[in-house]
Amino acid sequence: MADYTVAELMAVCLAREIKDRDRVLQGLYSPLPIMACLLAKNFHAPNMVHINTADVIDPEPTEVPFSTAGPALQERAVAYLPLWQTFDLAQQGKLDLIFLGAAQVDKYGNTNLSVIGPYEKPKVRLPGGAASAHLCAIMDAVIWIPRHNARALVEKVDFITGQGYLTGGKAREGAGIPKGGPRKVVTNLCIMDFEPETKAMRLVSIHPGVALEEVKENTGFELIVPDKVETTEPPNKEELEFMRQIDPKGVRELEFH
Amino acid sequence: MKEKLYTLQEAVSSFINDGDVVAVGGVGRNRSPMALVREIVRQGKKDLHIVGREKGMDFDMLIGAGCVRKVSFALVSLEEFGLAMNFRRKAQTGEIELDEHACNSVITSIRAAAMGLPFLPLRGMLGSDVFRVSKSLTEIKCPFTGEPLAAVKAIKPDVTIIHAHQADKFGNVRIQGSPFEDILKAWAAEKTIVTVEEIIDHEEIRNNTHLTTIPHIYITAVIHQPKGAWPASCDRYYDSDREEVKTYAQAIKTPEGFQEYLDRRVLNRRD
Repeated sequence: MADYTVAELMAVCLAREIKDRDRVLQGLYSPLPIMACLLAKNFHAPNMVHINTADVIDPEPTEVPFSTAGPALQERAVAYLPLWQTFDLAQQGKLDLIFLGAAQVDKYGNTNLSVIGPYEKPKVRLPGGAASAHLCAIMDAVIWIPRHNARALVEKVDFITGQGYLTGGKAREGAGIPKGGPRKVVTNLCIMDFEPETKAMRLVSIHPGVALEEVKENTGFELIVPDKVETTEPPNKEELEFMRQIDPKGVRELEFH
Repeated sequence: MKEKLYTLQEAVSSFINDGDVVAVGGVGRNRSPMALVREIVRQGKKDLHIVGREKGMDFDMLIGAGCVRKVSFALVSLEEFGLAMNFRRKAQTGEIELDEHACNSVITSIRAAAMGLPFLPLRGMLGSDVFRVSKSLTEIKCPFTGEPLAAVKAIKPDVTIIHAHQADKFGNVRIQGSPFEDILKAWAAEKTIVTVEEIIDHEEIRNNTHLTTIPHIYITAVIHQPKGAWPASCDRYYDSDREEVKTYAQAIKTPEGFQEYLDRRVLNRRD
């Protein structure tokens, strides 16, 4: 049996997307991205800049809090930075990465957090996409999906809240949003990226103990499977110790209950 | 400078009218002006157009209590406690009109109003269905470079409601923590009502100019309301009351449960 949880594995996968000196925005109700930022800063990316919806820059929380915009995420921060100024930075091209959650993601990385069913008469009204319709059009995003199944990974989203590669290929350029786009999709089963020409989702690595068939069965579209599929590198001892120490209440597990 | 101290009841009855555009301060469950929200519910205000970026219990309660006609928002959620069910139910039945945004488009619409402009351009938005269905957003070309951009219509609040840390009786306000968009919302509005944890001496304001975040010219009414954000947090003063938010999240699962919560915690109670 693995000595880590899938939440811990996913947090580490998200953290690995952060490079040293990256400026990363962590949004509201984002337990895994908080952990990813704290992991990256503590290990491989000490100079990354953590900006969050608690309106601060570079916090040093002693413990991961439940509300991801609350006072606990302001601890020891160097300054307040109102979110509208962070968006100004993004519009200047000076924000490097956002993490994005979604109810649905399709094969071109479009995300839906608005409605299931028709927009005017929805079957289910979802919370809304927060920053996504703005930021997904202008910068790199990494999408996290705690439950990889055919309802979440769909051929076509019911509504594009956050722009992926739209209809694939050069569709973003055609829509007037040439910059950025989704880079990776991290789920509880695997990691995926996007094939450079078609911009269709492609398998990169499968988490330890997960079978390729399980990934295929739980994906609602034809996933590109390259000849060589890696096994995702699990969290190491130091990373696990760090996560358990900074998050004793288990906030990182919230989306997996 | 004019003295602007009011009670919660006086301020809401004097300065908020049915049909008003109301910008609501705070984000998530942080520095939300909950005492003002509860008073609006008690006074049965109707047909409000509420405006905010990432909102929670404040918007959900106003919507559930029947105070709201239209919502300009980027997200309404109770974070780890789940869905804002009043928002969901009334959006699904079409009882409320939705003006869905991204965070920055709703913020920029307020910035436009604060700047006295009818609209502002912004990047992004294009290609999203949020943009396609929106009556508040349209595509424009930069008049200088021809680059495609989104334009967002200004939202001019009739009233902004916020909760802050301190103010003097003239309405010189100190927000001692994350400002969110509260300052922009006060700049943009015709009237701004602020509840504060503490009323401080005017001389204290005079002697510490650097600590004032919103000067009196933007403020219509000041209310001394300790714990005025409860059960939301007020940074540096108190954290959010998770038990209360959890109780609320349970209650709103059914309209009856919500009504029972309102009766018990809002209508038969004073702040």
